[in-house]
Amino acid sequence: MDQTAISINKLNKWYGDFHVLKDIDLQVATGEQVVICGPSGSGKSTLIRCVNRLEAYQDGHIEVMGQEETNLPRLRRQVGMVFQQFNLFPHLTVLRNCTLAMTRALRMDQAEAEETALRMLERVRIREQALKFPTQLSGGQQQRVAIARALCMSPKAMLFDEPTSALDPEMIKEVLDVMADLAQDGMTMICVTHEMGFARQVADRIVFMDAGQVVEVAPPDSFFANPQNLRTRTFLEQIL
Amino acid sequence: MSFSEIFLGILEGLDVTLTVTAFGLLFAIPFALVAGVAQQFLTGWKRAPVTAIIEFWRSTPILVLMFMFYYTLPVAGVYLNATTVAAMTLGLHIGAYGSQSVRAALQALDRGQVEAGLAIGLTRWQVLLTIELPQMAVAMLPTFVNQFIQLVKGTALVALITMTDMTARAKELSQLTFDPPAIYGALMLAYFLLLYPATVLGRHLERVVGRRSGRLNGGRAGDV
Repeated sequence: MDQTAISINKLNKWYGDFHVLKDIDLQVATGEQVVICGPSGSGKSTLIRCVNRLEAYQDGHIEVMGQEETNLPRLRRQVGMVFQQFNLFPHLTVLRNCTLAMTRALRMDQAEAEETALRMLERVRIREQALKFPTQLSGGQQQRVAIARALCMSPKAMLFDEPTSALDPEMIKEVLDVMADLAQDGMTMICVTHEMGFARQVADRIVFMDAGQVVEVAPPDSFFANPQNLRTRTFLEQIL
Repeated sequence: MSFSEIFLGILEGLDVTLTVTAFGLLFAIPFALVAGVAQQFLTGWKRAPVTAIIEFWRSTPILVLMFMFYYTLPVAGVYLNATTVAAMTLGLHIGAYGSQSVRAALQALDRGQVEAGLAIGLTRWQVLLTIELPQMAVAMLPTFVNQFIQLVKGTALVALITMTDMTARAKELSQLTFDPPAIYGALMLAYFLLLYPATVLGRHLERVVGRRSGRLNGGRAGDV
């Protein structure tokens, strides 16, 4: 394994009395793509939301690029996140959605930020829509803008929280293609998804979670062909 | 006195009505924003003083507030002129209501917006200023216009702390001519002419904002 990009150690989280994440251990190497799957309520989204601290956790450690950053804005600039509901800013153009954090958080000047933004929009193949507002775009286009917006901060790793779950079927592919390109370019990724085709094609490892625990971690081939755990097998039978 | 003479006589008080309104806004808008945001952001005991201040201004009749500040503060050696007292009491009273619209608008905003802002590395403060407030401002415009109208109507009370606004002029004229129907008719007309454009503007903004928010929520324009 190369250098570890994200290291999750003995992570525990509770919502009141409810134990959502139980002793999670997971290391993601630089350049590695990990897909997390599992039934709803298993804690997948909560886990990746702990990585950029949109969720607080009570016990354990998460290190990003070798350190546990306590300055949250700084941490979040290192780890981009893409949401299920896109969450673009409706009052700003596509271009301004992308430049906002560069000009405000990184204090980059407008021209330089726009240049970066256009480069990233190019990368997700939507540069020609730069001056439109999010609501003028389709869901697939909006999600690609959201990916570009995250890439603008030059993150060391990307978190995807069910990025295609809110999309119409015919738009899923355009988003997955962009994500596959990113993987190809060596972006470190943790992706919560139910797209098993994508997992098979892109993931280095697949993590199966159930009831707040990591049940099984395996490369896609053995994960699909020869799941070790009964719960994994039951889950795969249900979705495949 | 002819109706038009009466009407023009009443308009001599227009400058006072407008002055109190303008200075009232200077109290109302900042107070609504700061108090509304503070009430939404603070938790636990820190929130109590903010709520108390809002409730003080909101739950006391404007007239009582005016008497309080105009006639009782001098007892404590504090002399505020009538314009200041009028603008402050009206402005903060309306602003206290406005703060609740601000808070409601903050609560109504999709939580995903805040999360997306934080996730790209903005501070909570930057998220408030660049993401939440601009979206709220649009949503709140119609409410603000309505509260502006309340403010203008409230200025009719300043006559009771010695100011000569349109209502005070009407009272003076009625003591001269003993023609209440014409005088108060003209007074109503004056307020109507002043406020009707604002109500039209408010309705127009409501339609525009309604259309826009329908679009913002992905076309679910029928939802309210």
